Amino acid sequence: MTTTTPAPVATPVRDALAARVLRALLTQRTVLIVVLLVIVLAAFMVMDANGYLTGPYDGDTLASALINLVPLAMLALAQMLVIVSGRGGIDLSIGSTVSLTGMVFGFAYQNWDLPLIVAVLVAMIAGALCGAVNGFLIAYLGFPALIATLATYYGYASIALVINAQKPVTGDRIAALYGAAAQSVELPVIGANLPNIPVGVFYFLLPTVVVVYLIVARTTYGRRLFATGTNDVAGRFAGIDVRDTRFKAYLLAGVIAGLVAVVTTAQFASARPDAGTSGNGMALPAITIAVLGGVAITGGIGRVAGVVLAGLLVVWLNAGIPLAISGNTGPQFQLLALGVVLVFAALLNGLTTRRYGGTK
Amino acid sequence: MTENTTIADPLTLPDTGEARLHLTGISKRFGAVRAIRHADMTVKAGSVHALVGENGAGKSTLIKIIAGAESADTGEISFESAPVRISSTLEAIHLGIATVYQEPQLFAELTVSENIFTGRELKTGGRIDWRAQNDRVVELLELIGLPGRYATAVVGTLSIAEQQQVSIAKALAGKAKVLILDEPSAILTDAEIDVLFTVVRRLTSTGVSVIYISHRLDELFRIADEVTVMRDGTTLGTFGIGELSVRRIVELMVGGIIADEKPVRQIADLPARLELSALGLTGHFHNVNLAVRPGEIVGLYGLVGSGVSEIAATVYGIEQADSGEIRLDGTSIRPKSPRHAQKLGIALLPANRKLEGMFSFQPISFNISAGHLPLLSKGGWVNRKRETEVARDMIRRLAVKTPSEKQNIGAMSGGNAQKVVLARQLVERPEVLVLAEPTQGVDVGAKEEIHRIITALADEGTAVLVVTSDLSEALRISDRLIVVRAGTTTVEFGPDATQVDVLAAAAGDLHDDAAPETTTKGEGS
Amino acid sequence: MSTSTLPAPPSDAPPAKIRRRVLPSPVTGQEFVLIGVIVALWLLLALFTRGFFSELTLISLVGYMAPVATIGIGMTIIIITGGIDVSVAANVMVCSVIVAKTMVGYDTSVPVLVLLAVVVGALLGLVNGLLIAYGRVHAIIITFGTANLFQFLGLQIFGSNTVNGIPRDLKVFGIGSEGRVLGLPLAFLITIALAALAWVYLRHTAGGRHFYAVGGDAHAARLAGVRVQRRQMLAYVITGGLVGLAACFTIALGTSTVQQNIGSGVELAAIAAVVIGGTSIMGGRGSVLGTVLGALLVQTVSTGVTQLKWPSQLSDLFVGIAIVIAVGADLLRERARKNKGRSTR
Repeated sequence: MTTTTPAPVATPVRDALAARVLRALLTQRTVLIVVLLVIVLAAFMVMDANGYLTGPYDGDTLASALINLVPLAMLALAQMLVIVSGRGGIDLSIGSTVSLTGMVFGFAYQNWDLPLIVAVLVAMIAGALCGAVNGFLIAYLGFPALIATLATYYGYASIALVINAQKPVTGDRIAALYGAAAQSVELPVIGANLPNIPVGVFYFLLPTVVVVYLIVARTTYGRRLFATGTNDVAGRFAGIDVRDTRFKAYLLAGVIAGLVAVVTTAQFASARPDAGTSGNGMALPAITIAVLGGVAITGGIGRVAGVVLAGLLVVWLNAGIPLAISGNTGPQFQLLALGVVLVFAALLNGLTTRRYGGTK
Repeated sequence: MTENTTIADPLTLPDTGEARLHLTGISKRFGAVRAIRHADMTVKAGSVHALVGENGAGKSTLIKIIAGAESADTGEISFESAPVRISSTLEAIHLGIATVYQEPQLFAELTVSENIFTGRELKTGGRIDWRAQNDRVVELLELIGLPGRYATAVVGTLSIAEQQQVSIAKALAGKAKVLILDEPSAILTDAEIDVLFTVVRRLTSTGVSVIYISHRLDELFRIADEVTVMRDGTTLGTFGIGELSVRRIVELMVGGIIADEKPVRQIADLPARLELSALGLTGHFHNVNLAVRPGEIVGLYGLVGSGVSEIAATVYGIEQADSGEIRLDGTSIRPKSPRHAQKLGIALLPANRKLEGMFSFQPISFNISAGHLPLLSKGGWVNRKRETEVARDMIRRLAVKTPSEKQNIGAMSGGNAQKVVLARQLVERPEVLVLAEPTQGVDVGAKEEIHRIITALADEGTAVLVVTSDLSEALRISDRLIVVRAGTTTVEFGPDATQVDVLAAAAGDLHDDAAPETTTKGEGS
Repeated sequence: MSTSTLPAPPSDAPPAKIRRRVLPSPVTGQEFVLIGVIVALWLLLALFTRGFFSELTLISLVGYMAPVATIGIGMTIIIITGGIDVSVAANVMVCSVIVAKTMVGYDTSVPVLVLLAVVVGALLGLVNGLLIAYGRVHAIIITFGTANLFQFLGLQIFGSNTVNGIPRDLKVFGIGSEGRVLGLPLAFLITIALAALAWVYLRHTAGGRHFYAVGGDAHAARLAGVRVQRRQMLAYVITGGLVGLAACFTIALGTSTVQQNIGSGVELAAIAAVVIGGTSIMGGRGSVLGTVLGALLVQTVSTGVTQLKWPSQLSDLFVGIAIVIAVGADLLRERARKNKGRSTR
C-alpha cells in the first residue's frame, strides 16, 4: 500500500529527533528490518574480518543463501494474503499443501511425461484446489481458519504420504530439474561484479513477489482484500463481496504453495511426500516471516516489501549462525534466533498498535 | 464464605419521604465540552425517578457519575444522608448502586445462575454451592418475574428481553438500594415492557429506588413517580408525575429555543423516486409508507428501537423485507445485498462510523475508492491516478481537513472521518441516498458542512432520506419529516413543524389533547 | 392509533434447554455423539478385523492415548480461555530430554522424575503465560515463537543426537506388564483421574468457572471481579505441568532411546482432540470429557487403520475429516441458536 507515514493530528509539530527515529522504527516495519539487516550483516562481516567465523561471510555466501529464501519468502507471501484477509486468517496447512502438490507435480512431470510448463500448471491447479477447500470452509461455512487449516493440514499430509505409499517420486526428468535449479547465474551488465544468484530467485521468487505486489497494490482485488481484512462489516456496507474475497485469498495461497512445491521438488531432486511437513514444517517459518515483516495477525495490514525483507533477514541470519557457532549446534541457534525474532516482532506489533495505532 | 444477596429480605420499610441519593451542584467537563453545567437531583427511597432530556443533555454523564464510571468535577453526593465519594464502579456497587446498561454484559455460554454469581460465587469447602446459588437466583428471578427454572438455563438460549431481565437480577444480587436502568425499554417489545414495569414496581415496593432513563415519554406516566428534566447539561428541576403531561415534558426538554430560520426549498413536483409501501420486517417494523421525490430531503425520525434503523437497512439490502414493497422510479425492487442496492443506484451512509463505515488504518483514498472499484478500475486494475483525483476532488468538495489523500483515516477527527465515509457515497452520484445518523459524534462546524453537502446533493436531483434520532437535525435538514413510532410510520410534518410537536409525536403523544394515561402504580409483589 | 403487531415474547414457553438441575447437563450432545461414534467404530473394527478386542490391542489403544489426552486436558483449559498453545510439542521435548538425561546420569526414583518433569513443563508454561497475559499478544504467535525457543533449549540439552541407554524406571507408565494396574495401563488410569479432577475443577469451583468467564467475555469478566490475566497465565502453567507428565508417559512408551523428534506433532493432535470434543476455539465453552473422548476417537482411528492393514498415514486424513465434521456440527448448532435468538426478538 502507500508508504506515507501516518501523521496523526495529535503529534506535536516538533518531535525530538530521537522520538522521530523511534516512531519511524516502530511504525515503519521496513525501516526497522533494514536497520536489523544492516546490523546482522555488519556483525557477521566484522566477525569474519576478525577471523571468528569458520567460513567466509561474503557476497557468495549471501547469494547462495538466497536459495533458501525462495520457498520461505514465497510461502510467507502466501501467509500474508490469508492473514491480511482478516478474522483470524492463517494457513497451517500450507506445508502439507506443498507436500501434496509436490507429489502431484512429480506424477505429472515424471510419470505422465507432461511438458514442464504444463506440469507446473498442474501443480498450481492442485494448490488452488487445496486452497479452495480451506477458503470454502473458512469464508463460506464460517470455520475458524485455525481449525479448518489444522484439519486440512492432516488431510493433505496424509494424502501426500498415502498417494505413493510414502515413497518419493523420482526419476530422470526430476533429477534433471535439480541440475537446472541448483544453478546460479550471473546478472547481465552488472553481474560481473556481483556473485552469481541462484536461478530459483528469477524463475520463482521474483515473479511471485511482483505478482503478489501487483495484486495487493494495484488491482481491485487487492483493495477488496485489505478492505475485508480491515473491517469486513464496513466492506459489506461498501458493496464488497467479503466471502468471495476471503475465499480467493486462500485460493491464491494454495497456488503459491503449488509453485513452492515445484521449487522444493527441484531442490531435493525428488518429489518427497513430506517435503513441506518434515521437521517443523514450512508453515511455521512462513508465518514467522510474515509476522516479522509487519503483517498484523488481526488482518488488514501487511506489505510485500516488509515480508520479503523479513525473509532476507531470517535467511542471512541463518547463513551466518553456523559459521559463527562451530559444531553441529548451528541449526539450533537458528531456532533460537527465529524464536527470539518472532516473539520480539509480536511484542513490538502489540506495542505499536497500542502506541501509534499500528505498523505499516 | 457467603456474600450478601439480601434482596428477598425485607429492607427497611419504604419511607417515601426519605432521600436515598442526593446530588447537589454536580458539574463535569470533558476537555472544552461542559457535559454537565449544574445538576441537582434527589432520589427518594422506594420511588421510580425518571431522568429525561434530549440526546446530549447530559443524562448519561450524570448516570456515569452516580455509577462511579466518571467522577464529577464539582458538587456533592450524599447517600442515605451521608456524604460519599464514588470514585469507581466497585465503590458504587458496595454502596448499593447497581446499573443495568442497555447492552447486557453476560456470558452467553454460562447459566443464568452462574452469570449472576460470577466473581462472587457462594462456596462450601472450595466448591461452588450450586444449590445455594440456585436457590438465591430462583428467588431473584421470581422477584423480577422470570420463572425460577430459568436459573439453570444457558444465557445464550434466552431472548434479548430475558437477558436484560437477567442483567437486572444480576444488578440486584448485591444489596442494591439504587437501581439505574439505562433505556431498558429501547430494545423491548410492548409486552416485554409490561413485564419490566411489573418488576420495577415490585422492586420499589421493597424499598429499592429506581433511576429510570427513557426516551419514550409516554411510558413515564405508567411507571415514574418523579421526573427530573435535563437540558444543555443543567437539571431544570424535579416534578411530580402528576404535574406533567408528555407535551409539558417535551416543552421543558426543548426549552424556548426557536428553530433557526431555514429557507424553504422548492421541490419540483416529480413522481416519487423512492417509495416504500406497506413495508414490513417481522420483529422490527410494519406497514411503513413513505415516498421521496428527486431533489427532496425526507427526514425519518424515530427513537432508538422504533425500527427506524432497520428501515434504512432494508432499503440498502442488508435486511430483506418480508411484506410490502420498495419501488424505485415506479419499478418494484428487492435489494438483496448492499452490492445489489448500489447497482440500483442506492447509497447508504451507515450509522455506526467505526463499525460499519471506516476502514481504519487505511488512507483516505482507499476509504473512498473501496465502494467504487468497478468505476475506478479497468480490467481489474485500479486506476490509481483516477483514484487519487477522485479522492482529492472529494477532499476539496467536502472540505475535509487533511494534508493529503494518503492520510490514515484512523488518525482523523470524527467530523473529518465522517466526511470521508460520506464522500464514498457521493463518488457516483446516487439516485437515492440514505443517511443514517449523518452527524453522530461530529463537531458543530463539521455538522453544518455535512448538512450543506446533503442539501447540495439534493439540489442536484438525488432523493435523500435522512434517518436520524437527532431531532434538531431532522427538523433543520428535511423538507418533510416522518415520525416512526413502535415500528411504523405515523405522523408527517411539513417544514413548519416544531420540535415540541415532533418529539411529542415520537414519544407517544399523538393527540395534543390526550390526557396522560392512568397508571397502575403501587401494587407490587 | 395503530397498535404494535410485534410478536409478544413467549414468556411462559420455556427456552429450548431448561432442565431441573442446578447445572447444565454434565454430558453434552456432542459428547454423546462421540461416545456413539467410538462405540460404533469399535464394533465395526471388531467385526472387520481379527483381534481388535484382544487385550494387547485395547491396552495399547488406551496407553498410547494417554499423552495426548493428558496434554489435551490442559489445552482444553487454554482454549476455554480463548487462547491456544502450539509450543507443547517443544515443551514435551525439553521435559523428555531432561528426564532422560537425569535417568541416565543419576539414580532417582519415579516420583522425583515426575516432579522434575512437571516443574520444568510448568516453568516453560509460565513463560508462555506471562508473555500472553501481560504482553497482550495473540497466543498463537507467541507460542509459535516460544516453540522455537523451547526446541533450541531441548536440542542444547540433547547435545549429541539421542539419549541412549535409558533405564526402565518409567516403564510403570508404559503399556508393558510393569505398567498395569487392575489390568489397565497406569498412564491411562492417571489420565482418567486427572481428567476427573479437571472436570470437577472446571465445573464446580469458582476458579474453574472463571476460565469460562475469561474466554466468554474478558471485559465483562474483569468487571465482575475476575482476575483475567492471572487466569490466563494459570491455564498455560497447568498445561505446562501436564505436558511434563505426558513427557514421562511418552518416554515410557518408547524404547531405551529418546530421539530428538520426541513429541513432534503432539500439539496438533492435542488441539484436534480438544476441538473434536466440542470445545469452542473461540473460547468460553468446552469440557475435558469431550477432550478425552476426542483423544480416544483419534487413537481408535489410528489403531483401526493399523488393524485394517491400511496405510497408517491414512489415519491423519480421518482425523482431519473428524475435525471438520465435529466443528461443522458445532457451527450449525450455533447458527441455529442465533437464528432462534433473532426470531424471539
